[in-house]
Amino acid sequence: MSQISRRQAIALLGALGFGASAAACAGPGGTTAPGGATGPAAPTTGNITGKVSFAHWRGEDKVVFDELVKRFAALHDGVEVAQDISTSNDYNAQALQKLRGGSIGDAFATFRGAQFKNFTDAGIYTDLKDSKAAGNYQPGLLAAGKSGDSQLGLPYQVVFPMPMANVDLFDKAGAEIAPKDWDSFLAMCEKLAASGVIPISWPGGDVGNGGQLFNCMIANNAPVDDMCAQIEQGKLKVTDDWFIKMLNQYKDLVPYLQPNATGTAVEPAQNLFSQGQAAMLATGSYHIAAVRGLGAQFPIELVFPNTSDGNGKYEGAYNATFILGVNSASKNQAAAAAWIDFLSEPENAGYYANQTAQHVSVNNVEYTNPDLKRLSPWLEKKTALAARFQFQNLDVRNAVEASATAVISGTSPEQAAEAAQKIVDERL
Amino acid sequence: MSTHATKPAAKRKVPHSHGEADAAKVRRRSPTRVNPALYLFPLPAVAIIAFFLVMPTLQAFQYAITDWNGFSAAFNYVGLDNFIRAFTSDSLFTNALANNLKFVLLVVIAQTLFSLILALMLTKNSRGSILLRALFFFPTILSSVSVAFIWKFIYDPNFGLANSVLGAVGLEALQGSYLGNNAQALYWVAVTQVWFHAGQMMVVYIAGLQSIPRELYEAAEMDGAGKWQQFKSITWPFVAPATSIVVAYTTVQSFKAFDLILGIAGNPPKQSLDILSTRIYSTFANSEFGYAAAQSIIFMAMIALVTWLQRRLLRLTPKGE
Repeated sequence: MSQISRRQAIALLGALGFGASAAACAGPGGTTAPGGATGPAAPTTGNITGKVSFAHWRGEDKVVFDELVKRFAALHDGVEVAQDISTSNDYNAQALQKLRGGSIGDAFATFRGAQFKNFTDAGIYTDLKDSKAAGNYQPGLLAAGKSGDSQLGLPYQVVFPMPMANVDLFDKAGAEIAPKDWDSFLAMCEKLAASGVIPISWPGGDVGNGGQLFNCMIANNAPVDDMCAQIEQGKLKVTDDWFIKMLNQYKDLVPYLQPNATGTAVEPAQNLFSQGQAAMLATGSYHIAAVRGLGAQFPIELVFPNTSDGNGKYEGAYNATFILGVNSASKNQAAAAAWIDFLSEPENAGYYANQTAQHVSVNNVEYTNPDLKRLSPWLEKKTALAARFQFQNLDVRNAVEASATAVISGTSPEQAAEAAQKIVDERL
Repeated sequence: MSTHATKPAAKRKVPHSHGEADAAKVRRRSPTRVNPALYLFPLPAVAIIAFFLVMPTLQAFQYAITDWNGFSAAFNYVGLDNFIRAFTSDSLFTNALANNLKFVLLVVIAQTLFSLILALMLTKNSRGSILLRALFFFPTILSSVSVAFIWKFIYDPNFGLANSVLGAVGLEALQGSYLGNNAQALYWVAVTQVWFHAGQMMVVYIAGLQSIPRELYEAAEMDGAGKWQQFKSITWPFVAPATSIVVAYTTVQSFKAFDLILGIAGNPPKQSLDILSTRIYSTFANSEFGYAAAQSIIFMAMIALVTWLQRRLLRLTPKGE
C-alpha cells in the first residue's frame, strides 16, 4: 500500500467536503409534485391488505378509532391500520413534511384552510370524486375538500365554533339563550352576571381556542363572506369601519369575561365552565366531550353572539374539518381508500360521532348521543362557514385575531387594528 | 571484532542501493508521512459530520437565498431579499429579535447572579448544603415541557398557585394575569427559565469556588480584608472562568428557549412571547422555508455575535485565548 502525505489526505477530505457541498447545493424541492400536469388521480386500486398508516391529530379519539380499526380489519383479511397521532399544533406545523414521502399517512386528515391548501399545492391528495365514500356525504358540506373539479378531501366533522352554554345557569338567571341581536346578547350576559356567575369563560391565553370566537363575531359584521381571504389579499382592511365595529363589540364583552381572561389557558377555561362557575365556554362544540370528561352534568346548548342589529345574515357558525384524504405518495392507496370508505359509511360515521360527541358530514347518521341530539337542529340553521380558516397565511391570521385579544387587554380598537394591519401589509 | 564494529559506520556513509537512497530522501523530506490506513480512521466521523452537520448547514445557506416553500419542485433565487426582508419589512421578526435580546439580557443577569449567590451560600460540604444543592439542581433534570406545564399552572390567573397564594395572604391587589399581560409576560417566562437552570449553573460555580485555596482567605483575613474585599480580590478572579462558562451557556440557552416558550405560551406564541427560535418555527410552519432558513442564519450569527461581545466586554478571557 503506497503512502500518502498529509497534504494529499487534506486534499482528499477537501474533495469529500466539496462533494458534500455540491450535494447540498443540488437544489431544494428536488422532487416533483405527485399528480403532475394532469392533476390529481384517483387512488390506485388493488387488494385491500397490508399496513395503512392513518395520520391525524385527534388523540382524544384514538380509542374510538381503535374500535373502528378492529371492525375494518374484521372485514378485510391481512389489513392493519396504525394511527400516527400528533398534537394539533405539531400536526399543523409538521404534517406536510412528514407525509409527503408517503411512508407515514397513507390516509390522513387535514385542517380546513391553510393546511388543506398547502397539501393541495404539494400534490399530496388523490382525487376522491368518484369514490364510494364521497357519495355518502352531504353535498353542501363537501366544498371544504374541493379544489377545482377535484374532490381531494372529505370533511368528516362538523363542529360549531360557538360558545357552549350551561342551560341550567341560563334558566336560573332567566337569560335568553338565542339572542337576536347584539343588544340582547349583552342583556343576556348582564342577567347571567347578575345571577352571580361569570357569563363567558374565554381562553384568551390560547391562540387556537381563543380565536374561535372570532368566527361568530365576524360573521354578521363583514361585508362579504370571504372577508378573511380579502383581508389577506389587501382588498379589505382591518382598519375598515366594520372591523373596528367588531373590535368595539369585543370591548363590550370585557365585563362579562372571567378576570384576566387574556392569561387563561384552555384547560382552566373548560374548568370554569364544567364546574358551573361560568355560564358559557367560548370555544366550540368540539369541547363537549372534554367538559363532560371534567364532570359537567348539565344540559349544553350553543349560543351565537349575534353581532347584528337584528337583520344578520347568519344564525351561527360552523366548520367542516378533519378533511380525510388518501396520500398520492402512498404505496398502499387501495387499502387507504378502503379505510376512508369504511369511515364514511353511515353506521361507522355514526359510531364515531356518538362516541366522540362530534357531528359528522355523512348523510343518514343517527345521533344517539344526547348532546348531539340536542344540538342537531344547528345542522339545519343558516350558519356561516368559520371565517378564520380562510386565512392561508398563519402570521396574518394570528395578527388579525390578536387585535381582538389586544382590545380585551385594554388597547383601543383603532390602535389594535393599526398594529394588525401593519403585519398584514408586510405580507401582501 | 574490529571488522564487525566498523560495518555500521560504513553503512551510514555509503548507501547500499538507489532504492534505499530514495527511501532515505523521502523520510528526510516528509517526516510526517504515515500509513494511509490511519487516514481512514476519521472517515466515519467525517462522513457523519458532513452528512448531518455540514450538508444541512450548507443547504440552509442555499435555501436562504431562495423563495422555496418547502415542498414544491419550483423555486426562485432571490439573492439577499430574505435577509433584507427580515430587517426592513417584517415587524414580527424584529419583534422576536427584540424580545429575544431582552430575554437573554434578563436571564443572563438574573441567572448568573442568582446561581453565584446560591453557590456562595452552599459551597461548604455540610449535610444541609448538599441537600439544598440537590433541591436547587432538581429542576434541571426535568424536561422543559414539564417545567412549562408546572409554571403554566402557577401563572394561571383563575386556579393558579401564584394568585391563590396572594389571595390567601390578603394580597389580592397584587394578583395578576401574568402571561396574559403583554407588558409582563416575558419577565414571567424569564423567572421560569432562571428557576429551571440556576441550579445547574450553581454547580459550575461551586466547582470553581471549591478550587480556591483556603489559605488565600486566611491570609486576607490576617491582613484585615473584609468580606467584600475578599470577594472582590480573591473569589471573583478565581470564579471568572466559571462565570465565562455560565454566561456563554446561559446566553445560548436563552436564545434557544424554544420548547419552554412553546410549552408555556402555546403554538404559535403571542407576539409578546415570540422569540427568534419560535419565529423561525412559525415561518417554517407557514411554508416559507427559504425565509425561515435566512432567519436561522441570522439567529446563528446573533448567538455568535452576542457570545463574542459578552466575552470581550466582560473580559472573562484573556486576549488570544
